[in-house]
Amino acid sequence: MKEKVLSEHFSIDNFFKLDVYLKHNGYQAVKKALTELNPEKILKEAKAANLRGRGGAGFPAGVKWGFVPQNGDKPKYMCVNADEGEPGTIKDRYIMTHNPHLLLEGIIISSYCVGINTAYIYIRGEYENIALRLETAIDEAFQKGFLGKDILGSGFDLDITIHRGAGAYICGEETALLESLEGKRGNPRLKPPFPASIGLFQCPTVINNVETLANIPSIILKGAEWFCALGLPNDGGTRIFGVSGMVKNPGIYELPVGTNLKDLIFKYAGGMKEGKKLKAVIPGGMSSPILKADEIDITMDSDTLMKADSMIGSGAVIVLDEDTSILDVLTIITKFYSHESCGQCTPCRIGNSWIKKIVTRISRGEGKDGDIDNIARLASNMVGKTLCPLGDAAAMPILSIVKKFRDELETSIK
Amino acid sequence: MKVIIDGKTIEAEENKTILELARENGIYIPSLCDHPGLAPFSGCRLCLVQIKGKKGYSPSCSIYIEDGMEVKTSTQQLRKLRKNILELILTEHPNACLMCAEKKECDEYKATIRKVGEVTGCVLCPNNGDCELQEIVEEIGVDIVDFPSYYRDLEVKRDDPFFDRNYNLCILCGRCVRICHEVRGCSTLSFVKRGPETVVSTSMDQRLIDSNCQFCGACMDVCPTGALIEKGRKYESLADDKTEMLCPLCSVGCRLEVNLGEGRLLNTRPAADGPANHGQACVKGRFLIKDLVYIEKRIEKPLIRREKKLEEVGWDEALDWVAGKLKKYKGKETAVIRSAQVSCEDGYVLRKFADEVLKTGNISSEPAFSSYRELAQKLGFMPALNYKIEEISSAETIFLLSSNISVSHPIVWLEIVKAVKNGARLIAAGPMELQFDRFVSLQLRIEPGTENILLGSLQKILTGGESFKAAKESKVAENALREAAEILKSSKSPAFIFGSESIQGPVGMEVLTALWNIALLSKGRLYHLGLESNSRGIFELDRSFNKKSRQTGLIIQDIIDNKVKALYLAGSRIELPKKARPEFLIIQDSYVSKNTEIADAVLPAAVSAEAEGVFVNMEGRVQKSGKVLEPPGKTKPDWWITSQAAKRMGAEAFDYKKPSSIIKEIRNKLPGFANVTYPALEKSKEIFIKEETPQKGKLFTQKIISLPEGNNKRYPFRLVLFYNLDFYRNLSLSEAVRGFRIFRNSQWIHICLEDADKLKLKNGDSIEVLSPHGKTKVIVRITKTVSPGIVAASPEYPIFNNTASSNVLKVMIKRGK
Repeated sequence: MKEKVLSEHFSIDNFFKLDVYLKHNGYQAVKKALTELNPEKILKEAKAANLRGRGGAGFPAGVKWGFVPQNGDKPKYMCVNADEGEPGTIKDRYIMTHNPHLLLEGIIISSYCVGINTAYIYIRGEYENIALRLETAIDEAFQKGFLGKDILGSGFDLDITIHRGAGAYICGEETALLESLEGKRGNPRLKPPFPASIGLFQCPTVINNVETLANIPSIILKGAEWFCALGLPNDGGTRIFGVSGMVKNPGIYELPVGTNLKDLIFKYAGGMKEGKKLKAVIPGGMSSPILKADEIDITMDSDTLMKADSMIGSGAVIVLDEDTSILDVLTIITKFYSHESCGQCTPCRIGNSWIKKIVTRISRGEGKDGDIDNIARLASNMVGKTLCPLGDAAAMPILSIVKKFRDELETSIK
Repeated sequence: MKVIIDGKTIEAEENKTILELARENGIYIPSLCDHPGLAPFSGCRLCLVQIKGKKGYSPSCSIYIEDGMEVKTSTQQLRKLRKNILELILTEHPNACLMCAEKKECDEYKATIRKVGEVTGCVLCPNNGDCELQEIVEEIGVDIVDFPSYYRDLEVKRDDPFFDRNYNLCILCGRCVRICHEVRGCSTLSFVKRGPETVVSTSMDQRLIDSNCQFCGACMDVCPTGALIEKGRKYESLADDKTEMLCPLCSVGCRLEVNLGEGRLLNTRPAADGPANHGQACVKGRFLIKDLVYIEKRIEKPLIRREKKLEEVGWDEALDWVAGKLKKYKGKETAVIRSAQVSCEDGYVLRKFADEVLKTGNISSEPAFSSYRELAQKLGFMPALNYKIEEISSAETIFLLSSNISVSHPIVWLEIVKAVKNGARLIAAGPMELQFDRFVSLQLRIEPGTENILLGSLQKILTGGESFKAAKESKVAENALREAAEILKSSKSPAFIFGSESIQGPVGMEVLTALWNIALLSKGRLYHLGLESNSRGIFELDRSFNKKSRQTGLIIQDIIDNKVKALYLAGSRIELPKKARPEFLIIQDSYVSKNTEIADAVLPAAVSAEAEGVFVNMEGRVQKSGKVLEPPGKTKPDWWITSQAAKRMGAEAFDYKKPSSIIKEIRNKLPGFANVTYPALEKSKEIFIKEETPQKGKLFTQKIISLPEGNNKRYPFRLVLFYNLDFYRNLSLSEAVRGFRIFRNSQWIHICLEDADKLKLKNGDSIEVLSPHGKTKVIVRITKTVSPGIVAASPEYPIFNNTASSNVLKVMIKRGK
């Protein structure tokens, strides 16, 4: 069995409780970081670990922290992105459910590293029970002195607040998340300025994904070298892949970065259900471009998937079998993005809505010549032409489907 | 720095977006969501450009220029892309007319078809021909849209005054949402819902009037389509001429752009280059100017009373008759009460008439300026009044002593909002809470009438005084006062902004002295919010005459005591009490009112849109208001009427042919007006009253006066007076314009929910207010801005106006029948 960083203790009963967590080396990383290491040392370690963001964009976490200006007179904030909204993605919910204190440790260490005294966990509204569990965990940590004033006598203060989203996909986009956290409508902001310099309440802000932060304690305890060795040299550690769709054993699999996608599906997830043939894979959440069955002999890491014109995204692998209609897939995708567009940019608001209308019409059997070209035209008017990545997220899978499955789509029209 | 746009090297200054630089240099980049004065939005995506070294496309409205940047604005890819995007916008907006081959012919033959409920094409749209979307379609050239049009089929919202909202035409550029939030600080509008259902709306989709909308009209002025439709010009013709005038309705002096069509005034909009208002106006300047001109109450012919009836006569007859009658009175038996909404020319001639023809010292003046005159006497020089409104936005601290500023002087309020958004601290002192209290950083809520106590205590703290007894009476916590003092001490040149109500009345002089002291101690500036459009001008003019002017209240008392027998009432909102009907009453005014009904002679005066004239705003800025329309009927400008009357009474020096000759006389007489000539005013917007060279200021000892308690049992409520300034000459705006009355009524008395509950009153109830000075009927308005035991009303309403010697009255409230 491969070494696990995040899910090792998932099967232990009541691991979410602080006393159980403490029995398994809990809060040792915080202790080490706050009493033995200084922020510079932690930042160096995080950079050396090549921990890339697990939320979708894959930006190295250490580098991100380094962007926060030091010595400013404004307070700094940490926002934990727990708005796990990308269809197919289930990893953060497992971490927060089974290992909430690991996340808290990650937050404490990274806040200490950047010099932050207030952290927010922005969690999607549907995760009601998880939010309650996190709140309990925070309370426990407060009582034991892992949070609050002068943590473990280090002189470092930290407060963590849970903020629940209200059900908008766009609020997983970091700047829309900030707007929502400030109590405004969740529309994305223009970048620059980037949140690292002007973020929450106009102050420097670090925004990290749950899984990213949950990796920090192990890096502190076992070192960057160990972490890097787990995965690839420039993309360290493990990832929790959430496999869904037509496989025998759907679920989460924590595996090293760089695991082969074919192995993930056929070795770990037990292969195809009912002996069906594989048709295609969406490798990193719904917004990642689709891979055909013959394209899946590929390692799961940011760079390789980017070379294959897709992306690792949130590591949510959606497996489609031969019986799945690609038109249905397209319909689901466009319905989702059309609904979730914030409405600010013309190409995304109206483009998605028209793609949806055309696709729905095709599925009613009323497709026309030129429909597919129009879908492609509308989608390419979106890529790189909208304010936030939602336009890209919507357009890229659509374009890849049109490109790779055009024949099948054409048959739906005729 | 150097920026290359489309191969052209442009020398540019920092802090500009690509779009701004391109516009300045005549390079066309289409955009529908960008607007000067608003933060970049980058929603419409029409302004995408290509930047060398950057992947893909960048929105030129939000990318700031950098040295050496190379930008392409019009490649073939870009043109194609823009066409595609515009096509998408047009699927959300009725587009048949935009692409119709018979567009031109259609405009000519369907002149009246706009009177329909549902706008399904440009020819049916009230904004046809005045639409940015049309212009952009023309420019980019869309002739076919590949996707069928999508009509949102939303109900047109017509249940608010002044304008309708048809969001079927909205293209979601967000300008209205942004201007409401960013510039007006109101945040009434917002995007709601998401995706293709996104729409602009209010909280819970309520009416604007229930959503704290101030009806400033800024949203309409920035809307690029016909989604927001002004009710007042819906069925008017298109504008065929544009000109400018000054708004006559407060002392800010907003420049308004006037749209004229076939000789009619269609509407007014704030002029983008107005030096005081910078493209903004308020509900009055935006929507009510037209009513001032065309309202039915206008008087168009001279009237004289013969055998108890008012009869229409010609000018000669009327003037001779008036002159003959007036000659019979001795100087001190006559009085002139004059509005400060008339021009300097009008005001000067009226003053000269009183001085040289009637030979009376009974000429009215604004009480707040009497305090200023008194202060000047104490100091030995006139304290500076010329401070620019726009400089408020760069103040670090603002000390506000006027709870109603967002209503009385909205444009000044905008500068405060701007300052707060820039990080300034706003200290708000007064007996009422601000309507927009979210901008306040320190609230000093005081007992009514204790302004001088508050300020006196503040002065003590600033000078390091140890005792702190006085503030108890004003009920401000000591630590709040100390905090205010700390803020004032730590900031550079704080702005003190105060309304006229606080520096008039029995303790007005003390309040002004205290303000002067505190401003001196903190090196601050004193902004006095003058009441009327030419308050400052009339004050400056009056300083040139030897005789002192008198407060209106005293003149009226003299009429009651029969000391004054003939009254010349010019453009004044004063409503004469029954017992103050003088023996001979002349009214020179524009509208029918209770006064005109009892007058002996009514001389019809032109309104400000119909006469040119010079006005001085609260900054001391001298501006000329143009003649926009011909006066109706026999109406004449005030200066003409008064000088004719003077001539017929045998005076010689009243032979004015045109207003500029009056200005010449003023200029020669008054050093303050040395720079003021008509040609100079037309050339420059920056002409100010010349002030005396400031001398070293001195501190005065502060007298702290407590107001007498009065009879609390009989009159349990304290009535606070504040100015709405909702009048023009003798016209009450809320009485005259129904839409305005729904929004704001001068008859409202503000009362808190607790008191209303106790008295079983609800909004809109008609009640009676009784004070030792008399009683009046008012309408209940429940608000959170007053505390229990306190009610508040605007003194435009006659009883408060005539009897109030103080800003606080003891009153009782009785339910109406």
